[in-house]
Formats: sequence, C-alpha cells, structure tokens
Amino acid sequence: MSKSANAKMTEQVNAIETREIDAKEIITFLKSKMPARFKMWLNICASCGLCADTCHYYLSSGKDPQMIPAHKVRFLKEILKKKGKVDRSFLQKVYNTVYHECNMCRRCTLYCPFGIDIAQMISLLRSLLLSQGIAPEGLLATVKNYNEFGNQMAISKEDWVDTVEWCEEETADELVGLKIPIDKKGAKILYTVNAREPKFYPQDIMEVAQIFHVAGEDYTLCSEDGWDGTNLAMFCGDAKTARLMVENTFKRADELEVQQVAVTECGHAYRALRFEAPAWLGYTPKQEVVHSVELFHDYIRDGRIKLKDKIKEPTTVQDPCNVIRNGGLAEKNRRLAEFLSEDFRPMKYQGNYNYCCGGGGGALPMGGEMKKYRLVSGKIKAEQIRETGAKIVFVPCHNCIDQIRDLSKEYDLGIKAIHFKEAITEHMEIPEHMIPKEDED
Amino acid sequence: MDFFLFVEGPLLWISFLTFIIGSILRVVLFVSVSRKKDTIIYQYVRWKYFFSTLGRWLLPLNKDVAKNPLFTIMGYIFHICLIVVPVWFSGHISLWEESRLEWAWTPMPDRLADWMTLIFLAIALFFLLRRIISADIRLLSTFSDYLLIVVVALPFVTGYFLTHGTVDTIGFLGDNIQVIHMLSGEVMLILIPFTKLSHFVLFFFSRGATAFEFGRRGYSI
Repeated sequence: MSKSANAKMTEQVNAIETREIDAKEIITFLKSKMPARFKMWLNICASCGLCADTCHYYLSSGKDPQMIPAHKVRFLKEILKKKGKVDRSFLQKVYNTVYHECNMCRRCTLYCPFGIDIAQMISLLRSLLLSQGIAPEGLLATVKNYNEFGNQMAISKEDWVDTVEWCEEETADELVGLKIPIDKKGAKILYTVNAREPKFYPQDIMEVAQIFHVAGEDYTLCSEDGWDGTNLAMFCGDAKTARLMVENTFKRADELEVQQVAVTECGHAYRALRFEAPAWLGYTPKQEVVHSVELFHDYIRDGRIKLKDKIKEPTTVQDPCNVIRNGGLAEKNRRLAEFLSEDFRPMKYQGNYNYCCGGGGGALPMGGEMKKYRLVSGKIKAEQIRETGAKIVFVPCHNCIDQIRDLSKEYDLGIKAIHFKEAITEHMEIPEHMIPKEDED
Repeated sequence: MDFFLFVEGPLLWISFLTFIIGSILRVVLFVSVSRKKDTIIYQYVRWKYFFSTLGRWLLPLNKDVAKNPLFTIMGYIFHICLIVVPVWFSGHISLWEESRLEWAWTPMPDRLADWMTLIFLAIALFFLLRRIISADIRLLSTFSDYLLIVVVALPFVTGYFLTHGTVDTIGFLGDNIQVIHMLSGEVMLILIPFTKLSHFVLFFFSRGATAFEFGRRGYSI
C-alpha cells in the first residue's frame, strides 16, 4: 500500500501553504511539544516486531512490513536526527504514513512489551505537519467550520434550535408529554450531539429524546456553541481548535449548572471531552463526562427502561476504539448488546483488544482521499463480522458506523449496522401513560 | 601497565562504575525532564496499575504470550539466563570473595550454569538469524540491533570457552581467553547505559506511563 501511496505524492493537494519548510521552527516545535517519554520510547524500542500482527493495516495488507507500527513511527526519530532539516517531499512521505497508514487506535500499544504509545507519536507528527501547513483538506474544512460556526457542519444557531424543535414536534405524536429541553438550567445532564445528526440524521435526536423520556431522565440540550460534542480538530493536531470545542461545551455545562456532560453515540467526542480535555484546558472540568452506552446500559440494568422484546436475528457489537479501548466501556457495551439480543455473537477479541474498523482517527471526515485505504484496512474487521454470522451489528460510533456500512458493501457482508438508540426505541416498552390515546368520539 | 592487569583492574572499575552510574543517570535525567514534560502522566499515577502491569509483563501473563508463545517464552528464558548465570556462577563468586569487598553468596551448580549458557547462546543465535532472515524484522533493524546481540552473547561464549578449555590449544585465543572474556563482559557493561540495553531500567518507567494511561480507562494492561 505504501509504495503506491508514495507514487501518488503528486496527487496530494494538502498543503495549505507553500512556504519553505522551516527547520528551526520544526525543532522548536518538537523541543516544546515532545514529551520526555516519547524520546525514551524512540531510544528503547527493541525492534522486536511484536507490534506487527496487532495492526489492522499490517494484517489487511497481507503483512506488508511497511505497515509495522514500529516502522511507521520512524519519522519522528529521523526528523530529530536531521535536526528538522527536511524538505516538503520528505514531509509528504510522513503525511502518507501518518494519515493513510494509521488510525491512532492504540491496539499496538497493548501488545508492545514496553507499552510504547505509537499512536500518540503519530499524533505528534500530525501536529508537526500542521505547523508546517500540511493537513488533509477534509479535516481542515471541519476546523474552519468549528471556528466560524462552533460546529463541524456549519449549522447556524437558528437552524440548530429549529431542528430540535422540529424533532420535538415529530415525536410528540409517538410519546405523550415528550419535550426536548433546551437551555434548561439545573438539569442533571447536558447532552451533546454529533453535528451530523441535526444535518443528516435527525432520527438520532428523536430516538434519544424518546429514550430519555421513557427513562425519566433530567437532561437538556444547549442552544449556544458547545452543543456539538465532536472534535475532528484533534485528528489533525490542531490543539487550539480542539481546546475551543471542549471549552465551549464545558462553559455551557457551567452556565446550565449540570452535573454531567453526556455524549451521543460518537467515539472521539467522548475521548475528547472526557480524556483529552484536561490536558487542553489545563484543568479538570467539574462535570463528569458520560457516553450514551453507559446511560443506556444503566437504564436497562436498573429497570428505568424495560424491553418488551429482543432482537431475534443474530447480532454482534463493534467496539469503537475511543469508547472501548481508549474509553473503558467494554463491559457495558457488550452487556447492552446482550440485553437487546436473543442471539448475541461476540466477535473474536471482543472488548479492549478488538481490532480498529479502520474508520477512526479522522479517516471518514478525510473523505475521498482516504476511502481506498480504509476499505483495505477494514478487511480484518469485515472478516471478524462475517465470522460471527451476525445479521445486525450494534455500532455506538458515527465514524465506525459509516465505515462498517461501507465494509458491508465492499466485502458483501449483508449486515445491517445500527446505533443502539434505534434498537432501544424499537424494543422498549412504552409506559401506559405515555402511549397516545385514540380520540374518543 | 600490562594489558591483562589493566583489564582485570582499572577497566573493571571503569566498566562497573559506568554501568551503575550511567544507569542511575539515565533514570535521573529521564525523571527530571519527565516531571516537566510528561505532566499529564503524573496526574494519573495509581500504583495498583503499575504493579499489575509489572506482574503481567515480568511474568509470562500477558497477551503477547498468547499471541506468539514460542518467541515470547524464548525471550523470558533468555533474560533469566542473562541475569542468573553472571550473578550466581561459582567462578564469578570466587572472584568477588577474593576481592577487597569479600562478598560471597551461594553459587549455582556448575552444570546448570553450563546448560543455561548453552540455552542462552542458542536463543541468541535464533534472535540473530531471525533478525537477518525475517523481512519484517530486517526492516526495523539498525546496525546496533545486530551488534548488541553479538555484544551480549560474547561474554557467554568466551566464558564457556574459558571454563571448558575449548580454545586452549588455539594459539592467540588459547593464551588470552581470560582477558578476552573479561573484556567482552566489560564492553557489554559499558554499552548498557548508552544503548537500547538501558531498557533494563527504563522498562519500568515505560510500562508505568502506559499503565497509568490505560488505568484512566479503568483497566490494567
């Protein structure tokens, strides 16, 4: 894969500036941003190769040695050795590797005898590229939207609020008393969405509203910037925009005096708000960050939502890297899938050690540029799914679900990929008093 | 000064001091920079994750053993032999006893030392051949990766020759095998702080950092 990627160097139109590469700037950047443990890792890597067959790129490419994680991270050492004196074509090679050959999923780290965090070093290289004006167009477009509109889809505040109100109207027919609160001060939870939900998938908003209503949850959305929990800026190393996004959300959380910030079924939004925000902000926000998987699992476990029946077709569940391996929700994710299924089939490596589907780390938002690479790297995930014999795959992440749907087409899996929300609203028991009464004459 | 006297005298001191002080410095330097630049890790120190990860990796209780059982078990045996033989071999203990430190401890049986040496060398040879033959590992390897296998194996080869008189009849080697053995051990000791062999101390910091990072997610690795 890498040989053809190098040959396509001329195809890449991803330099936002064409100024000279500044060696001094590169070294200054690395001196200030590179943690001590990265340097230590670069020095003690024993080249043992145990990371090789942990990586979906390596396995899906038919074991191409160029895809070995310890090899992909070599550029950091090389740039330091050359004291930053690299040219644009060198940085193009770096770009091809850090964007087309890695999702930063961290599976390799779990198997490295030294626990070397290759993904974090790849992320640093992405930041370095950005500092020299190099990043994928698709991600830069979302960064522009984040800065101008406060959300990745360039939705105005009016349109956002209108969409929420419309969702409320549409679902009012199905559940008596359903309201979608906006800017409710003192609510327990501030719920954030993925901006593509109001733009393309309003059913996600309607479904979660139904779930919250039946569970009797005290939640609110917010109208101002911060309602979009996503943070694609972190995938191209733009710490400034990444910080802005989490700052917005926690500011709203403070203003509305909520106890928790909740995240829709999205992977990286959870990672950004819960685990990366403290480093970007320089302090730990006081609100607890929770993912939909936790909320939904707990509702069913505690009986706040009862299921009238379960899915009969065989199911399996995706472990989105930023919800599971890098999020810590392996057990709840699996149990939620089991609650909803009569015939749940775990994948091989279900849980923390599951393979990345190939859609993470910005791969989907990168658009056309990345499609062919992710369809190859996703081969392992496709085979995992096929092996289970499942017809339905629960996927609590927006990027994973797009990827898995594409993989289903590419590899003829014939599966249906759904968010948990869809399954829960279909199978939950509606309390008597919420069922709309027929008009009596 | 006669070369032999130099090797068994001052150079012995130099190599041990370089090894000990060099390793301590490696750690101290790392920690001092790390406290400034790895601040996020220090915020999430939870010792149960540190000890758990050490348990999983110092013992064969980790996922790599399941994934590549042969290679990883060989690695464990290699490291055990590497440490046990030089420390518990009767020939070495006699020297410590005769030295000004007069330290002594119970030696291991000589036959066991012999076997562990041969097993160690067989594994070292396997590592070297693997590094040469496997396209994957070759791509990852630098000159240092090949050299260090030889550097670490030489004290064991020469030690075996010395105790068994294997090369006694071969001219230069036979006359000087004792010096060659000592020199090879000293070279290894001196190189430890300056190469990836420093993983013998840095391993603990490396595993610790990652254990804390995943400890934040509530599970031990």
